Amino acid sequence: MNAPRRIVTPARRVRGLGAGHSGTTTFWHQRITSIAGIPLTIAAIVIAVALLGRSHAATVQILGSPLVAITMLLFIITFAYHMWIGMQEIIVDYVHDEGFKYAALLGNTFFVFVLAFASCYAILKLSFGV
Amino acid sequence: MAGNGQGNGGAPKINGRAYPIEDHAYDVVVIGAGGSGLRAVVGCAEAGLRTACITKVFPTRSHTVAAQGGIAAALGNMGEDDWRWHMYDTVKGSDWLGDQDAIEYLCRNAPDAVYELEHWGLPFSRREEDGKIYQRPFGGMTTHYGKGTAQRTCAAADRTGHAMLHTLYGQSLRHQAEFYIEYFAIDLIMDEEGRCRGVIALNLEDGSIHRFRANMTMIATGGYGRAYFTCTGAHTQTGDGNAMVLRAGLPLQDMEFVQFHPTGIYGAGCLITEGVRGEGGYLVNSEGERFMERYAPSAKDLASRDVVSRSMTIEIREGRGVGKLKDHIFLHLDPLDPAVIHERLPGIAESSRIFAGVDVTREPIPVLPTVHYNMGGIATNYHGEALTKKNGNPDTVIPGLMALGEAACVSVHGANRLGSNSLIDLVVFGRAAAQRCAELLTPNDKQPELPKNSADFALSRLDKYRYASGGTPTAQLRMKMQRVMQNNCAVFRTGEVLQEGSKLIHEVYAGMPDIAVTDRSLIWNSDLIETLELDNLMAQAVVTMDSACNRTESRGAHAREDFPNRDDQNWMKHTLSWMDEKGKVTLDYRPVHTYTMTNDVAYVEPKARVY
Amino acid sequence: MVEFTLPKNSKITQGKTWPRKASAKRETEVRVYRWDPDDGQNPRVDTYYVDRDDCGPMVLDALIWIKNNIDPTLTFRRSCREGVCGSCAMNIDGTNTLACTKAMDDAKEPLKVYPLPHQPVVKDLVPDLTNFYAQYASIEPWLHTVSPTPETEWKQSHEDRQKLDGMYECILCACCSTSCPSYWWNSDRYLGPAALLQANRWVQDTRDEATGERLDKLEDPFRLYRCHTILNCSKACPKSLNPAKQIAELKKTMVDRQL
Repeated sequence: MNAPRRIVTPARRVRGLGAGHSGTTTFWHQRITSIAGIPLTIAAIVIAVALLGRSHAATVQILGSPLVAITMLLFIITFAYHMWIGMQEIIVDYVHDEGFKYAALLGNTFFVFVLAFASCYAILKLSFGV
Repeated sequence: MAGNGQGNGGAPKINGRAYPIEDHAYDVVVIGAGGSGLRAVVGCAEAGLRTACITKVFPTRSHTVAAQGGIAAALGNMGEDDWRWHMYDTVKGSDWLGDQDAIEYLCRNAPDAVYELEHWGLPFSRREEDGKIYQRPFGGMTTHYGKGTAQRTCAAADRTGHAMLHTLYGQSLRHQAEFYIEYFAIDLIMDEEGRCRGVIALNLEDGSIHRFRANMTMIATGGYGRAYFTCTGAHTQTGDGNAMVLRAGLPLQDMEFVQFHPTGIYGAGCLITEGVRGEGGYLVNSEGERFMERYAPSAKDLASRDVVSRSMTIEIREGRGVGKLKDHIFLHLDPLDPAVIHERLPGIAESSRIFAGVDVTREPIPVLPTVHYNMGGIATNYHGEALTKKNGNPDTVIPGLMALGEAACVSVHGANRLGSNSLIDLVVFGRAAAQRCAELLTPNDKQPELPKNSADFALSRLDKYRYASGGTPTAQLRMKMQRVMQNNCAVFRTGEVLQEGSKLIHEVYAGMPDIAVTDRSLIWNSDLIETLELDNLMAQAVVTMDSACNRTESRGAHAREDFPNRDDQNWMKHTLSWMDEKGKVTLDYRPVHTYTMTNDVAYVEPKARVY
Repeated sequence: MVEFTLPKNSKITQGKTWPRKASAKRETEVRVYRWDPDDGQNPRVDTYYVDRDDCGPMVLDALIWIKNNIDPTLTFRRSCREGVCGSCAMNIDGTNTLACTKAMDDAKEPLKVYPLPHQPVVKDLVPDLTNFYAQYASIEPWLHTVSPTPETEWKQSHEDRQKLDGMYECILCACCSTSCPSYWWNSDRYLGPAALLQANRWVQDTRDEATGERLDKLEDPFRLYRCHTILNCSKACPKSLNPAKQIAELKKTMVDRQL
C-alpha cells in the first residue's frame, strides 16, 4: 500500500480554494457568441460561395467592400472568442496536470489571438489596400 | 477532540484473538439517525453538549424516510382544532393503554415541534388560501372529542417522512454534529450500579471496534418489523437497540402490540399511506362493497388502523377477498381527481405502478394488512429517560439511558398508534430528551473510568458470530423466525395459536448456536451484520410472542378471539418482559398512568371504543 | 490528464460461476462485480443463476436471493426496498439506478450488476460516497433566514411551494452524479448534478433569505460550470427528476443577477 499523498477532511477537499467568483460571464459570452455565430457563419458561407471561381481582383474587391469586410471581421472575432472559450473548457475538463494545463491554456490563448489578429489584418488590408 | 479516536494500546483478547479498540468520550451518544435520533442530536448540539451519533446507515437512509402521510399537530389551519381533541383521539386510539401524562405532553407540544421543522426548511404542502401548512384528514383524528373529522395531519405531499428526515439531517449538518456513519452498535456498556456508560460499536468500513463512553446514551434504533415475513419496514428495521436493552438485563414494554397497517401493497409489502383514504380513497371487497361502512359507521375508511386491519381480515376470511386466491382487498383511488393525486399522492402513484403494476387513476391497488409499527419498546417517561421496575417502583429511571422514537414505549401509542402520530412522537420526544440532557448534564463533564471488562460482553458476542460455523445459514433461520411470527402472532390471535407460536419461536431461538456465517472478513461483512441483526430480532420475537400469549384480553392491535373484549379490570397495565440468555422470558407489569401532566386537561375516562 | 483506462489493480477478471439450483425451472443469469479488499486480488465478475420462481421481480430481490441461497458473502447496501432511501444505487444493465425498483424483466440478460461508476469501491457493490456527501453538506441544505422567526409557520404561496417539486424529492442516491462524465473527471471541484439540484432547491425556496450568498458560492468555473448539459443525470435519475433542468435554472438565475 502506498502512503497517502494527502490526508485532508472531506470538507477541506470539497471547499478547496473557495469559489472562483467567475464563470457566469464566460457562460453568458459563450451563449452570446454562439447565437451571434449562427447568422455570421451563414453570411461567411454565403460570401465564401460567392467568391468561388472569381478572379483575384474580384475577390479583393468583394472582401474589401465595407459590408462584407465588417461581416467578416465580426465573424472572425465572434468565432475566435467562442473557440477560445470552448477550447479552454475542454482543457480545464480533461487536463489535470498543473504544468501541462497552464501550457495548454497559454497555447490556446496565443493561438486564438494570432489567428484572429492575422485574419483581421488580412481583411483590413483588403479593405484599406495599404 | 481530546481523548477521542485514540487506541488504547493493548487490545483485549477474546478467544485468543485481539480486537484493537478505539476509545471516544462524549457527553451524549445517540444510537440511530432517524427522525428522533437526529432531532435529539440537533437539540444536544444546540445545548453545547458534545454529541456523537452512531448509525448503521447514512442518516437519510433511515426508515423515517419512508413515512408518507404526515405529521399530526393541532395547528387548526384547516378549521378549528385543539390539542385536547388530539389528546382525546390519541388516548382512544391507544385503547386506553397510553400514559395520559405523556400523551398530553405530546399533543400540546406538537404544534411547536411542527413549526420548528417548518422553520428549518421542511417543504410542507401549502393551502391555496393563505400559504399556511396544508393538513389532511387521517384515521382516528377527530374534532370535539370524536364528533367531527379533523384535518390535523401536516403533509409534504405523500413524502412527509422523506422531507422531514432530510430537513433534520440538514439541521444536524448546520450544527456540525459528529456522525459515525455505517457503525453498527453491538452492545451497551453497563456498570455494576446499573448505569449505562456508553456503547460498543463496529465500524463496517474497516472492521475496527469503537468504545463510546458517554454520560447519556440514547437509543433511537427504531422498530423490529423484520421479525415478520412481510412488513412495510426496511431491511434495516431490526430493533437493535431493543435487543441491546434486553441483553443488558432490562425489560421491554408492551411488546405484544404490533400494528398491522391496513394498506401494504399485496405481495411486495410496500406502504400505501392512510392519506389515500384521508384524501377520499376507500376499500372495497370482492362484492364491490365499501365494507368499512359496516364496521365503522361513522369514521368508515378512516377508522383507527387496528379496526380497519381487522375488518379487512374478516372480509377475506369470510370469502369476500379479491384476486385469484381471494386473499386481499382493493383500495380505490379512482374517484379522486388525477390532479389531486398528482399533487398530494405522487409517491404512492409511483409505488403502485412499480410494485403492483397499477395505474391508480384507473385501477384499484391490491392491498393487505401488513406489519408496520411496534407500539412496544423501551419503557420511558416523557423526558425520554428509560425506565425499569425495581424494588416495586415501576418508574425507576435507568441512569445514563434514554430511548426515543419507535424503539421507545413512552407510552403515547398504547395498544394502537394513530397514523401520523409517529412522526410527531419522533420530534416531540427527540426534543424533550435533548432538553432533559441539557438539564442533567454539564458539557465536557468528567466521566469515571470504565470497568476493565467493559468491552468483553460485546466482543465475545461479536467473535462468537464472526466465527460461527454451525449448520444453519442466517437466512434460513431468519426465514423460520419470520414464518412463525407471521403465522402465529398476526392480526387475530387465539390462545392455542399463540401457545404453539411460543413453542415454535423458542425452538427457533434454540437454533441460534447452530448458525453459520460464511464471510470471515471484517470489512463490510454484511453476512456478520445480518447475523447480529437476526440475533437482535430473535430476542424481540420471543418476548413479543410470550407477551402476546400472556395478555388474555383484546386491546388495540392485540386482538384475541378467545378474549374478544377489553378487560380494564385486569389488564389496564403495561407488560414488562425480560429475557435471559437461554431465551427464558420473565413478565411483570407497570400501571398505566391514569393521570394527566397538568390540570389543563382532564383524564380521559375509559369507555367503549367505537369509530 | 484524466484517466481513461483502469489502473492495473482495477482490471476486472473473470470470476467464478456458481452452481445452479437443480430444481429451478426459470432462471436468470446474473453477473455481479465482486471485489474483496482483503484478498489482494483484482476485481472479478461472478456468475449466478437466480431461480425466478423463488425470487421477487426486482434486481434487489435477485441480489438478496443470491445472498440468502448461494453466496452469503455478496455485499451490497439496501434498506427500504421501495425506492425512497437511496441505499441500493448501482449500475445495472449499464445504467445507474436503484436495484429495488428496477425489474429484472426490464433489463437485458445476462443481467450485469456493477457498483456506481467512478467512485472508490469499499467492497463488491458498496462504493465510498464520502465526497458526494461532503458536497451535499457544502451547499448548506437548511433554511437561512435573517427576518425574525414567526411564532407560527413562514407563509409560502401554493405556487411558490410548487417550485420545489422536482427537487425536494431527491433521495441522494448518487445515480445522477456518478453517471455524469464531467463529474467523473472533476468530482473534486465540480459539485455534480445531485448537489446542484439540491442547491437550486434552496435557491428557489421563497422562504430562504440567503439566495445571494448561495449563488456567490456557486459562482465558480468548476462548482457549477463544469455542467456541459450532457443530460446523463436526467436519464439516470430513478425518481424521474431532472437535475439538468435544475442546473440550467441555476445558470439562468446566475445570469439574471448580472443583467
